[in-house]
Amino acid sequence: MCQFRIQGSSLKIYEYIIRRLILLFFVLFAVSALVFYLVRGFPTGIAPWAPYITSRMTPEQIDRVIKAHGFDRPIWEQFFYWLRDIFNGDWGLTGTWAQGRPANEVFFDHFPYTVELSIFGTILTVAIGVPLGIISAIKNNKFPDHLSRIIALAGYSTPSYWFGFMLQLVFFYYFSLWGLPYLPSSGAPDFIVPKITGLPIFDGLLAGNLGYVWDEFLHLILPAFSLSFISLGFLARIVRASLLEVLRQDYITMARSKGLSERVVIYRHALKNALIPAVTLTGIFFAALLGGAMITEFVFSWPGVGQQALRAVFQGDSNFLLVYSFVFAIVIVSANLVVDVLYAFIDPRIKY
Amino acid sequence: MAEKRAESQPVLEIRNLKVNFSTYKGIVKALNGVDLKLYSREVLALVGESGCGKSVTAQTLIGLLPENASILEGEMILNGKNLTKKSKEEMRMLRAQAIAIVFQDPMTFLNPVLTIETQLEEVFMLQKNLLREAVAIQKAEGDVKFADLIKAKSAGSSQTDKGASKKETKKVAKKLSIDLLRMVKLPDPKRILKQYPFELSGGMRQRAMIAMAFARRPSLFIADEITTALDVTIQAQILHLLKGLRDRIDASTLMITHDLSVAAEVADRIAVMYGGNIVETALTRALFRKPFHPYTQMLLRAIPNILNPVERLESIPGTVPEMINPPPGCRFHPRCPHAMEICKGERPKLLEVEKKHEVACYLY
Amino acid sequence: MQSREEKVRKGEWEARIADLKYTLHLFRKNPLVMIGTIITLFFVALALLSNIIVDPNLAYASGYEGGMYRFDRKYMWSAGHIINWGPGISIYSGPEFFYLGTDGWGRDLLAMIILSIPVDLYNAVVIVSIAAVFGTLIGAIAGYVGGIFDEAILRITDIFFAFPGLVLALVFAAMFGRTMETLQLAIVLVWWPPYVRLIRGQILSEKEKPYVEALRALGASHIRILFRHVLLNSIFPILVQITMDLGGVILTFSALMFLGFSPSPSMPELGNLAADGYGHIFDAPWVMIFPGLVMLVISLAFNLVGDGLRDVLDPRLRR
Repeated sequence: MCQFRIQGSSLKIYEYIIRRLILLFFVLFAVSALVFYLVRGFPTGIAPWAPYITSRMTPEQIDRVIKAHGFDRPIWEQFFYWLRDIFNGDWGLTGTWAQGRPANEVFFDHFPYTVELSIFGTILTVAIGVPLGIISAIKNNKFPDHLSRIIALAGYSTPSYWFGFMLQLVFFYYFSLWGLPYLPSSGAPDFIVPKITGLPIFDGLLAGNLGYVWDEFLHLILPAFSLSFISLGFLARIVRASLLEVLRQDYITMARSKGLSERVVIYRHALKNALIPAVTLTGIFFAALLGGAMITEFVFSWPGVGQQALRAVFQGDSNFLLVYSFVFAIVIVSANLVVDVLYAFIDPRIKY
Repeated sequence: MAEKRAESQPVLEIRNLKVNFSTYKGIVKALNGVDLKLYSREVLALVGESGCGKSVTAQTLIGLLPENASILEGEMILNGKNLTKKSKEEMRMLRAQAIAIVFQDPMTFLNPVLTIETQLEEVFMLQKNLLREAVAIQKAEGDVKFADLIKAKSAGSSQTDKGASKKETKKVAKKLSIDLLRMVKLPDPKRILKQYPFELSGGMRQRAMIAMAFARRPSLFIADEITTALDVTIQAQILHLLKGLRDRIDASTLMITHDLSVAAEVADRIAVMYGGNIVETALTRALFRKPFHPYTQMLLRAIPNILNPVERLESIPGTVPEMINPPPGCRFHPRCPHAMEICKGERPKLLEVEKKHEVACYLY
Repeated sequence: MQSREEKVRKGEWEARIADLKYTLHLFRKNPLVMIGTIITLFFVALALLSNIIVDPNLAYASGYEGGMYRFDRKYMWSAGHIINWGPGISIYSGPEFFYLGTDGWGRDLLAMIILSIPVDLYNAVVIVSIAAVFGTLIGAIAGYVGGIFDEAILRITDIFFAFPGLVLALVFAAMFGRTMETLQLAIVLVWWPPYVRLIRGQILSEKEKPYVEALRALGASHIRILFRHVLLNSIFPILVQITMDLGGVILTFSALMFLGFSPSPSMPELGNLAADGYGHIFDAPWVMIFPGLVMLVISLAFNLVGDGLRDVLDPRLRR
């Protein structure tokens, strides 16, 4: 990540943002080209023209469809057609035989679910990961430190599919066997409230339909927890490293020399300094969770974008994958950018 | 006039203090039996090269030694209380109310993300007694100044009736902060309170730290190389400030420095430290006029003299002893031109050779 | 000139050895790292001895017809109980008592797990080695040489970072086909960029250090400086990353297997074994539980070592 110090005129920020945006365009282009080549160029699943034809078409009709959409052209020509098409908003069709729907529609139908999952996953990650890191740093090299490090690392080392299933096993199957209240194991309830933000829980709250909100929430707990368990280790270690570094600083010695209790030293003096990098990283976390939710969505049959992406990979569905990678490239690069700028805002030492 | 300040009973007495650090490379014997006396309302300068143990002495006094340090032997007695026997919690209370320390580099020793107000007021908020007194004075006289509190302390009065409310204490703390900042000659204290450390200059930050120290009305005030990180003009200002303040604040000061000229500026007495021991203590003038210990003599000869320019500056041969395997007996003997056989044996004790002038050397 | 450069190198090696001794000392003081190392060594030993402990033929069930192994029915046996999934002859006869139950093909799960450890470890080591070597070399050259080459490499890694890793690996895997080598390649392609970033950062700061200039003055060529001095001095974070990546790659590799990319459905591999349990998670949970658990422990061991190593090598914690 580019380092920058902003001093003096605010022109420098805009310059920096514009540079990053240009980089974004380049990345988008390159990523799309790469995915296009990989998926279209090596058709593995179903044929790329499958969504455009029906099973009743004759070979000649199929042939005409193929020629009309340019599927018989060389790859780079196809790529340019694709580029031209997306400027007109046409992202191609996705899906299986004759059930093709516009790829961008399918994507944005499922996207809110992934976003919702990531939001709650991030909240859980922060809620558990930050205290773990703090404990590790304060009681460095003593038992609580070792315990929380094992927990954090265990999360990091857990196979994502395995953990999801274990959660289902315990909280759904065994709980119901033992007569305990249990959590639903998969899926999400149908979207029955009017779409405003697109996010199920928030729309439910806005519509005042608390039953729906609760239902959605119950379905959300296990996948969100599964997702967060795997990433909280990373956050905890960053918090720990940061806090340890801060506790070594001179101003902490000064604070202690004033006779402040250790608790006050940590909460008032140390934490604010230490959490700055951690907080800004939360943005990147969120972006990463968005992309990494694929297997979790699969395990829990969560109707998000990751599940669709999985399907698309197996079907060789290039249109959907292109939308997917396009959106994620934007998300990740913007998240990085936002985090960098935020960092400059939060730290009072960096002036404009 | 400085001589008159020294009274018979020392405020602080350190006896045979030995402190070790256990490190990967071995045990560092940092303090090798330090003997020191600090009298009421005097300024004692602790001078020595880097690594001789001055800062370790300060750390031991305030009770903030790192984990791998241990006090082997010795005592530190402040106002009759033995600091070496105190628990961590008790030391913490002392740091809040009786012992204050100002450090060397005001940039790194102030928290960059907290305002001066926060960092100064928290010192006040720790002292319930002071706050109650202040509120009482406020109620009685309609206004309170920090000077009042100093008078209150030396008068030994405790006008503590019932406790004060949180709002009142906060208001009073803020008032006192502004007053204190004014005392350390900071312009526009109200504005400074709202600022962050990076917005102040080096000299201003150092004054703020001094304010934070004096806010405790300390019996013992330790200044650990406070001028080293400042350039010469600011240095002069700070020293001037300290000299002005010491008449108003009833504290005894331990001034740690490696710069003899700084010591000459402010100190009533000087103690010279080498290799974890005090080798000589004397009143300032006496030390410069008639140094007894060979180390002190060579130290003074090494200072360029504007009245007596020489071609080559004298330096002390050899290097500072490494503390894991220090030379036995008197730690200076490998570099001492007057070294005798006896110097390699037991360490010489501090003996009074003239009035108020002590030396630790077998020459005497 | 030759001998002076030799002296520099000799000095460097002495410093490195002293450093290493201190590192080992710190290592020993850290209980988590010791646990991690012990577990890792245990699994490595297990991997090396697996063919002795368990008969490898157990992995390939009997039932040989027309030149192909056949699996008619899936039977799941759980430590003594037989769950019959329908009529059909039992294709497997083996020891009576299955400590961990059987997998979907009726094979002893414990034996299968033991047999799959070398597979996983081997692949993880291969993948990480290739990715690390490749990434480090490219990153080192890019960092040292700078200029357009550096910019180009940076942009390329940017592209890789803008993509969720697993998806990219999947796409590569789908594209390449289902042999071991292609799977390894797929994962290598996703794991090499972090090394570039890592080594580049190190090299950039090492480059500015005075000893590099001194070596140039002595007449050493750039290549010599890079490979014999600068690179070796920057190697520590790479080692940490390698250890932690071993834990991560095992997870990714088995995830790919789980999703169906394994060369053969009956191959003993932890993800593959877990995939068997996918459809039967509630009635035969052991098929999923135990392979996953073993994978967790292996990965945890690697991560403990790597994490501890990172702590130990932190320059600010050293005296």
